[in-house]
Amino acid sequence: MATVLETPTGTTPTVTPARQGFWRNLWRVLRRKPTRLAGSLIVALFVAMGVIGPFLYPANLPIDAGNAYAGPSGSHLLGTDFQGTDVLALLVTGSRYVLVAAVIAAACTVVVGTGIGLYAGYRRGGPDSVLMRITDFIITIPGLPLLLVLSTLWKYSNPLTMGLVLGVTGWGSVARAVRSQTLSLRERGFIEAARGLGLSTAHVVRKELLPNVAPYVAMNLLISVTVYIYLEVGLFFLGVLPFNENNWGVMINQAVQNGVTQTGQGLSYLLSPLVAILLLTLGIVLLVDAMDEVFNPRLRED
Amino acid sequence: MRRTAVAASVLALCAALTATGCSSSNNSTSKKSGGTFTAILTHIDPKAPINPYNQTTNSFRGYNAMMLGWSKNTATDATQFYPAIAKSWDLASGGTKLTVHIQPNAKWSDGKPVTADDLKLSAAVAYAEGGSAFAAIPGTAGGTVDVKVIDDKTVEFDQNSTKPLNTWFSNVMTMYVLPAHIWSTQVPSDIWDTIHTALTGSAAEAKTAQDTITALGKKLISWGPDKDVSAGPFTLSRVTTSEALLTKNANFFDADKIAPSQVVIKNYQDNSSIVNLLLNGQIDGSVYVAVSESQLDKILAVKGNQVVSGASPVQASLAFNESKKPFDNVHVRRGIAYLIDRAQVTKIGESSSGKASPYPSGLTATQIQGWGVDTSSLNAYSVDATKAASEFQQAGMTQSGGKWMLADGTPFTVPIQTTSDFNDWTSGASNVVAQLKAAGVDATMTASSDYTTYLADLAAGKFTVSWWLTALGPSPYNIFQRLYGSANGWKLGAGGGVAHSAPGQGGNWMGEAESSDITGLGTVNPGELTNQLSQVSADQQKQIVAKLAKFTNDQVPAIAMWDYVNQNFINTNHFTKFPPNDSDVLRQPQGVWMQLGFIQAK
Amino acid sequence: MRKLPLRLAGHLVRALVMIWVVATFTFFLIRQMPGDPVAAQYEQLVQQGMSPDGARNATQLTYGFMPTGSTWSQYTHYLWRLLHFDLGRSTQTLGVSASSEVLTGAKWTIGLVLAGILLSFAIGAVLGVIAATRRSSGTGDALTITGSLFHAIPQFVMALVLITVFTVIWPVFPTDGNVDILVDPGFNGPYIASLVSHATLPALAYALSMFGSYLLTMKSSVISVLGDDFVLAAELRGLTRGIRFRYIARNALLPLFTIFALTIGFMFGGAVFIEKAFNYPGMGVTLVNSIGHRDYSTMNATFLLITAAVIVANILADLLYTAIDPRVRRGGTAGA
Repeated sequence: MATVLETPTGTTPTVTPARQGFWRNLWRVLRRKPTRLAGSLIVALFVAMGVIGPFLYPANLPIDAGNAYAGPSGSHLLGTDFQGTDVLALLVTGSRYVLVAAVIAAACTVVVGTGIGLYAGYRRGGPDSVLMRITDFIITIPGLPLLLVLSTLWKYSNPLTMGLVLGVTGWGSVARAVRSQTLSLRERGFIEAARGLGLSTAHVVRKELLPNVAPYVAMNLLISVTVYIYLEVGLFFLGVLPFNENNWGVMINQAVQNGVTQTGQGLSYLLSPLVAILLLTLGIVLLVDAMDEVFNPRLRED
Repeated sequence: MRRTAVAASVLALCAALTATGCSSSNNSTSKKSGGTFTAILTHIDPKAPINPYNQTTNSFRGYNAMMLGWSKNTATDATQFYPAIAKSWDLASGGTKLTVHIQPNAKWSDGKPVTADDLKLSAAVAYAEGGSAFAAIPGTAGGTVDVKVIDDKTVEFDQNSTKPLNTWFSNVMTMYVLPAHIWSTQVPSDIWDTIHTALTGSAAEAKTAQDTITALGKKLISWGPDKDVSAGPFTLSRVTTSEALLTKNANFFDADKIAPSQVVIKNYQDNSSIVNLLLNGQIDGSVYVAVSESQLDKILAVKGNQVVSGASPVQASLAFNESKKPFDNVHVRRGIAYLIDRAQVTKIGESSSGKASPYPSGLTATQIQGWGVDTSSLNAYSVDATKAASEFQQAGMTQSGGKWMLADGTPFTVPIQTTSDFNDWTSGASNVVAQLKAAGVDATMTASSDYTTYLADLAAGKFTVSWWLTALGPSPYNIFQRLYGSANGWKLGAGGGVAHSAPGQGGNWMGEAESSDITGLGTVNPGELTNQLSQVSADQQKQIVAKLAKFTNDQVPAIAMWDYVNQNFINTNHFTKFPPNDSDVLRQPQGVWMQLGFIQAK
Repeated sequence: MRKLPLRLAGHLVRALVMIWVVATFTFFLIRQMPGDPVAAQYEQLVQQGMSPDGARNATQLTYGFMPTGSTWSQYTHYLWRLLHFDLGRSTQTLGVSASSEVLTGAKWTIGLVLAGILLSFAIGAVLGVIAATRRSSGTGDALTITGSLFHAIPQFVMALVLITVFTVIWPVFPTDGNVDILVDPGFNGPYIASLVSHATLPALAYALSMFGSYLLTMKSSVISVLGDDFVLAAELRGLTRGIRFRYIARNALLPLFTIFALTIGFMFGGAVFIEKAFNYPGMGVTLVNSIGHRDYSTMNATFLLITAAVIVANILADLLYTAIDPRVRRGGTAGA
């Protein structure tokens, strides 16, 4: 672990404590407010759902045509869908696609955005202008219409492709923000000191700049996941995305098309994925709240 | 302080809006004494021209756009029409000469009478806009070669006598009638000379004439008069982006039959907005809407709402791409047919607006009945795992570990394609997949992003099993065209026959063999038989229909899932005397219902 | 600060270049879309009962409106017409110019979304201040979480819930559409009232789904301003609460204005879900329909309009920020 030259922390809230202390800080902050602990538990639950969930159910979920749109009952905790399949099973097996695509999209956005922002902010000059023009272009292109057009071009029924396509359209604002942070960091002494010591660009970027923008990046990653889940589900709801297996968005689309909002029958089929999304967002929001306090000591209220 | 002020003003605003919201919706239903009839139709675009030929138009069939007659859509007789602008007609000389007598009282909304000149000009416009009976290519089968004005209220249409088609009559009767005194500003006065040159002139002259007509068509399609002049029961007053308002035309020849003084046609966005309007009791007459059982119950629970249904000549089938093995083997196709419980698929896919097809034969249940097809020789393909197993075994498949395998040991998979836009197809396909999986056949479902992409990929032959609408009647030629037409490689060749292209070429994605041997029928070339349907007499049509039904039932190029039910919603709060179930006007817009004496004020 | 006209000129040049880039990109991208609009029209006509031959003839005319020639020549034609502000003809409604199609929808979207944004700005700013000042108590936490939650609720869900509650269960608002057609249009009371009542639910749906981000931004902005030295100085100087509040508010509102300006830019493309749910004939619906029909001209026109709106909004945001924030005016630390 490289030693980070400590600078006076006066007005610079973005300097992180040493990495060994990070997790201890996080744990302390989490424990302070029980809601935050709940948040991280929720997130962990959904991660588990996405990873091992599909293994808990058989590949062919049983149907029961006579019991469609049933409400919650003993045998079907969350009711049934349009052909009598258990909604809980659908929810768990349908989580993987949505979560994987959203995580990949968020990762793509953050990686590309941070990379470009760091490089542009550090190098300045020619590469900076070029990269910023590209970033402007990405920000300016209308995202939703672009996705609508792209959905006809790429048959992305596989969450990896979907995640990449989503992520590629959204990295603009991350790049801009990271660049502006990099620009302000450049003015600080420790960068000069590092260059003076003869450390290479790669070293400076990786070891000096990156840890300083890491807080913003980490929080952005989590928030992006929620944004992309919402975007995915919205597009499935519009009915413009190709798919080949059940997922939360498809469940909502089916429910609405079959008139659940108008008749109230099968409400649990509609609400289960919605509540799942909201719960996951809640968990992430609470977790981000905790991380915010870890990185931003001024917010701590001792 | 600021907070409460903001809150208070927001509350006040809400209260004001609520009051206006209530009052404006109350006002809208009973403004004029004759009553406002609210219908829901299709996509409304205020920029669209008042031109019935444009895809998006402000000339609504049955309201302010009139034809010569309204088809009764009788399954077995395409010549049954209700009078519209044409009061009576005679079809002579073996179906090649049609004499039409115009309604004596027919007038345009500006007072001028409807005369034979209007029909002649309308025919000229039809040549330019591509009406099916009006083609400017010489030698077109079923093409009109001349339109003669006999007197002020009589017109004669002549068909190409060397290649007559029995569909010509209905194609002429469905010609739109346009006001000559308005449209003549856009159509050159020598248009009929140009048309005659195109049909009878030398090759070079004809080509020039045809180009002129095509250019005219392009100019005309986007044109419409500034103010609507209509011979129908209503005239267009006003159009917004979501509604069109039409007012009663006092000069309509049957004006006293028309009860409503205004018609509001609402924009069709998607099913859920129509259902919301129905739940509010705001629609007096709707087009076909597919709703689930629970939605249907809720809609009918609203006071005044009723449903009028009739048979619909539309059927949803799962069609095979026979160029993909092993689906070229008829036993495989039959086996799959034996495994699918079509009643369950219909219940889950289409529920209230569809009925499971009794016999996969390319025909709906009503059509089978109407054409008198003998059902004792047809196989209903009821669910039977044993029969399915024997068919699969005949195809060389084996069962291992409860799953079916192909002869070479790879697992047998049935990939079904649907599209995201059509919820009934998607639900139905999910159910088919579930049923097949439960029977040991691996099946998957993939949805395309939208219908246009679906069609493009379908035509390119990318799918194996896909949804396809069949039995699009009422004309038998149109019905079997869906199975044995261009999608299956049979295209109209020169001289009225058909030419068959190989699978993958010329749009052939179904890949059916050009002819097959059927027990009891011998060798059958379904494409040729289908083509004959447009040329022969009614009795011969019956025989051909029976043959094709047996062929389809035996070869199963497509498994019919459900017959759509033409479900129209009406509301009896303000109007009464709606047509009964199974009435022959149900496939026409409500404007036509009014012209025939239905929809009277309460 | 550089002279304003010079900055403006710089912005304009960059804007024009960006518009050209976007126009080119979307032109080529859209041409890649699979699907033949004529085949789709044909299928639709056949489904509605037209005979196959009739449908074939009817769709022949559409071919006359489809672009011909190599992609490059189509592109040069497109650019040439673009310079003359001619955006081509629609193939959905044959012959109607694409620009009029798009503008018809645009004017409805603007009204709706503007109302929604203003509403969410007001709600978010006010609640954000409360959340910041009461952040250690339950209220603050609850407000923050409420804001995040509402932000997480997808727009279409909000729309559906509002529809179900306010038009089906308790019908006080009209179901759909933008105005009641039976009312004579013009500047009269009933017409305006009808417009407002039809726009209320969609605007509310928009506002409720957007206020969360204003709330959260305001909260963190207020918190960081509260920590700034000048606030402490003001307190030490003995300024009253009211004046201190104004100091805080003016500084804390800065980031919100940029979000505000940027959101206005994104409004054209972003209201699709709500417009679809409420059958509100705005640009989002025009766009979705044109994609379904492969109406290339209308798609290009929509993209251009949205892009132009975003660019203009960005420029305005930049100028606005310069105007309100003196630190930037004096050419201080580099803003992005």
